[in-house]
Amino acid sequence: MSVLDTISISSLAAADALPGRGFWMPERASTVAGDVDFAFNLITWISVFFFVLIVAVMAIFIVKYRRTNGREAEQTVTHHTALELTWTIIPLILVIIIFYVGMVGYLDLRTSPVDAYEVRVTGQKWFWTFEHPSGCIEVDVLRVPVNRPVRLVMGSDDVIHSLFIPAFRVKQDVVPGRYTTLWFEATRTGTFDLFCTEYCGTGHAQMVGHVIVYDEDEFDDALRECREWIEDIDDAQLHLAGANLFNRCQACHSLDGSPGIGPSFLETHEYFHDRRERDMIDGTRALVDENYLRQSILNPRWNTVAGYQPGQMPVFQGQLSERQLRSLIEFIKRLDEIELDDRGRPQVLSPDQIRELGGDSPNDAGAEQ
Amino acid sequence: MTSIPSNTLHTDNYLNHTRGFMSWAFTLDHKRIGVMYLVSVLVAFFFGGMAALALRTHLIAPGTEMLSEDAYNQMFTLHGAIMVFLVIIPSVPAALGNFVLPIMLGAKDVAFPRLNLFSYHLWVIGAIFFLMSLFTGGLDTGWTFYTPYSTDTASAMGGVIPALTGAFILGFSSIFTGMNFIVTIHRLRPPGMTWFRMPLFLWALYATAVIQVLATPVLGITLMLLIVERAFGIGIFDPALGGDPVLYQHFFWFYSHPAVYIMILPAMGIISELVSVHSHKHIFGYRFIAFSSIAIAIFGFLVWGHHMFVSGQSALLNVIFSAITFSVSIPSAIKVFNWLATMYKGSISLNAPMLYALSFIFIFTIGGLTGLHLGTLATDVHLHDTYFVVAHFHYVMMGSALFAMIGGMHHWWPKITGRMYHELTSQIGAITVFIGFNLTFFPQFMLGSQGMPRRYHDYTGDMWLPETVELFHTYHFWSTIGSYVMAAGFFLTAGYLVHSIFRGKLAPANPWGGRSLEWQCTSPPPHDNFAKQPTVGDCYDFSVLRWDEAEQGYTWREDVPRPGEGDRDPYEKGELE
Ligand code: HEC
Ligand SMILES: [Cu+2]
Ligand SMILES: [Cu+2]
Repeated sequence: MSVLDTISISSLAAADALPGRGFWMPERASTVAGDVDFAFNLITWISVFFFVLIVAVMAIFIVKYRRTNGREAEQTVTHHTALELTWTIIPLILVIIIFYVGMVGYLDLRTSPVDAYEVRVTGQKWFWTFEHPSGCIEVDVLRVPVNRPVRLVMGSDDVIHSLFIPAFRVKQDVVPGRYTTLWFEATRTGTFDLFCTEYCGTGHAQMVGHVIVYDEDEFDDALRECREWIEDIDDAQLHLAGANLFNRCQACHSLDGSPGIGPSFLETHEYFHDRRERDMIDGTRALVDENYLRQSILNPRWNTVAGYQPGQMPVFQGQLSERQLRSLIEFIKRLDEIELDDRGRPQVLSPDQIRELGGDSPNDAGAEQ
Repeated sequence: MTSIPSNTLHTDNYLNHTRGFMSWAFTLDHKRIGVMYLVSVLVAFFFGGMAALALRTHLIAPGTEMLSEDAYNQMFTLHGAIMVFLVIIPSVPAALGNFVLPIMLGAKDVAFPRLNLFSYHLWVIGAIFFLMSLFTGGLDTGWTFYTPYSTDTASAMGGVIPALTGAFILGFSSIFTGMNFIVTIHRLRPPGMTWFRMPLFLWALYATAVIQVLATPVLGITLMLLIVERAFGIGIFDPALGGDPVLYQHFFWFYSHPAVYIMILPAMGIISELVSVHSHKHIFGYRFIAFSSIAIAIFGFLVWGHHMFVSGQSALLNVIFSAITFSVSIPSAIKVFNWLATMYKGSISLNAPMLYALSFIFIFTIGGLTGLHLGTLATDVHLHDTYFVVAHFHYVMMGSALFAMIGGMHHWWPKITGRMYHELTSQIGAITVFIGFNLTFFPQFMLGSQGMPRRYHDYTGDMWLPETVELFHTYHFWSTIGSYVMAAGFFLTAGYLVHSIFRGKLAPANPWGGRSLEWQCTSPPPHDNFAKQPTVGDCYDFSVLRWDEAEQGYTWREDVPRPGEGDRDPYEKGELE
């Protein structure tokens, strides 16, 4: 980014150009957002009033009572109980009102309707996994229907994370060892930001995702696509599908041999290719074959590669379908066939592109089923 | 009164009373200890500030590769830990308080001079442990040390235990200073100084000391538990070991919320002094200001849960904590209104200390009012852990607490060094810092309410929506520019202050027209402050002073008897106490 870019983008006008955003708040896309913004605006206007009052009085005094030649302070009363009580009691009444408005809004935020659509959420260093009742499991992308309450039941596999969706005005910490919940009802379709807001280490700033809100019928299609696309990818293209899942691994594993929190997959690939044995932390050696890869991904606690810290690699047991797991294993096995960009990231193709490479059009694939 | 300048820089004073390194490092003189604290705190402030500049520079545009993720995380941890533990907490009480408190009481020293020296030595040892954490693997937990991140050796870097030990030791330094001040204020007040005749700065230091003594031990125990868990794997906070991570947050904030008042209360005390002295006008509503310090100290213990509204704490607890939180805002509001009333019909000198005091009122008003957004449940859920919080606490901790300390430093500089700094330069410095500060932190309010989380190394990547990146870029850009302006202001300040030590005009005993006792001894004060214990009257009645041209400072009016002479002062010890 050059300095010129920096300056041209940096005009406050940018704030106005964004659809639906206000000066203070992002667009409002959930049922509770209106109440939250009401409370926010109420407090802001009260604040503006008092700020202007205080600063104006201060400015007038500075100008009027400046110490100039010969000006001495005048004697005035040194206390005035009635006056002081006034400026104690008026703010007191105001804060009671603010407290009340905030409390009512908050209780709405906390009380989820009983018939909500439920999604299980797992926070891990440094990605989110969203698991739908229908079996669709996705990383960093939360798909939800519009105008229907959604309840997230959240847990963490390592440290504390926090799920925040600014457009919905909701946030909740995700704590290991217990479940926390969050609910919202989206009021419009579109793609919105989703952030981790509790500091969780190296990749905290990349623990970012999207919430995609669909119309009811599109939502069903989206979930079906999420569940099934990988099932009808030909074995020949399965490694390409694996590239699609690699974003869960890239915080720790590189593809070009550069060091990271875990071994580079390039190295793993070479071990596999040459059928070599790996030194493990407990002094044993393990042959890198399909089973080794399977174990390392599903249940990494069984052992640790020498030179790495135990307990770092997330447990993927129950988070990957059998086919997804196979695609990742294929991805590592056939890494030499994957194109990398100059930052060492794999080329990621959409499901349709991968199917086309396989020769059949998506429609055919659908018809065969 | 004669018109011979009373400056004693070249006669015997605390600075030249004895010489040599050891005479400083092991001094029992509260003034020297105060000066050593001041210098140490300013050195720490320099390093903390450099870390901040590195962070801001890194954030000027999305995708900057100046700092790696881990380097960034260490940098903000370092910045926060230095500024909180090494700078702001000790700055007013330990540095300025140490220097001023005994003199304001007309005493020769604090009640326990050896303990006072020990506090300072503990500060140095604590700082060394912090440094050690850098060389034992680094520290990337944030200054809050949240579990299980901090106790999990697979997550946090290796420097956690030295840093915790450092914070533990600094805690004791703070407790000892507090104890010392409480006893000093109780036992060493001069004749005529009843509780309600103490300068308000002393009330503030007293309230602060009570918090230091009561809250800091909880931090100490908590940090110990963390060390035990991390070193020996004993499960207290880590759920993997059967502990409860939210329990840590309760313990931590039980100290760290009151700690906010350890930072702001003494700052408010300074402002009460600055506003009245530089307006040459009696403080308005003395009792309300004094009682509001105590009220803040008490309520401050009951609101820690407002840091945990989204931690998974029950809704009922949240509602209760929110309600009590609002009660703290009232005493703060009272103080602001009383300061304004003090200025009314005064005679306001716009010199550097007063400019800092006015900046304080401006900035503290914003910091306090945005506290309402965060105390309110519905809005805090949205704003928690975003830049809105970052902006809010910089308005309160830096723009208020630290600016008050810098204002106080300018106020007492002639007393401490015996020299005057260049007036116009100091005014330019104060205004530059004020503008830079607001440019840095005001945009962060919008950044936060628009959704930017704090402690983020970057704000672009595969999953970032382009229009979000663009908006955040705008605010980050201006914020970084602001930080450069502020840095320029601080370097200018450092420049003219250092210059004044060597080249400044000699300071009179009372350059501003203050009436509390420190203005009645020479600048700099002699080794034991006062040859004979002075008597006091109303320390906010400035009508007894007049400007003396030959002295270039204020002196007592010939036609008014001093307290204890002539008309007997009814408050003189023994009659009304
Ligand atoms: C938080 C960091 C992290 C993430 C995310 C992560 N891993 Fe790992 N991984 C590690 C570490 C550390 C090791 C080495 C220690 C061990 O064996 O447990 C490792 C080891 C492995 C190994 C064994 C490698 C070898 O050369 O022996 C495989 C295979 C593996 N990971 C696959 C994956 C896959 C697939 C993903 C994504 C779906 C993934 N990892 C995500 C940290 C991570
Ligand atoms: Cu995070
Ligand atoms: Cu607090």
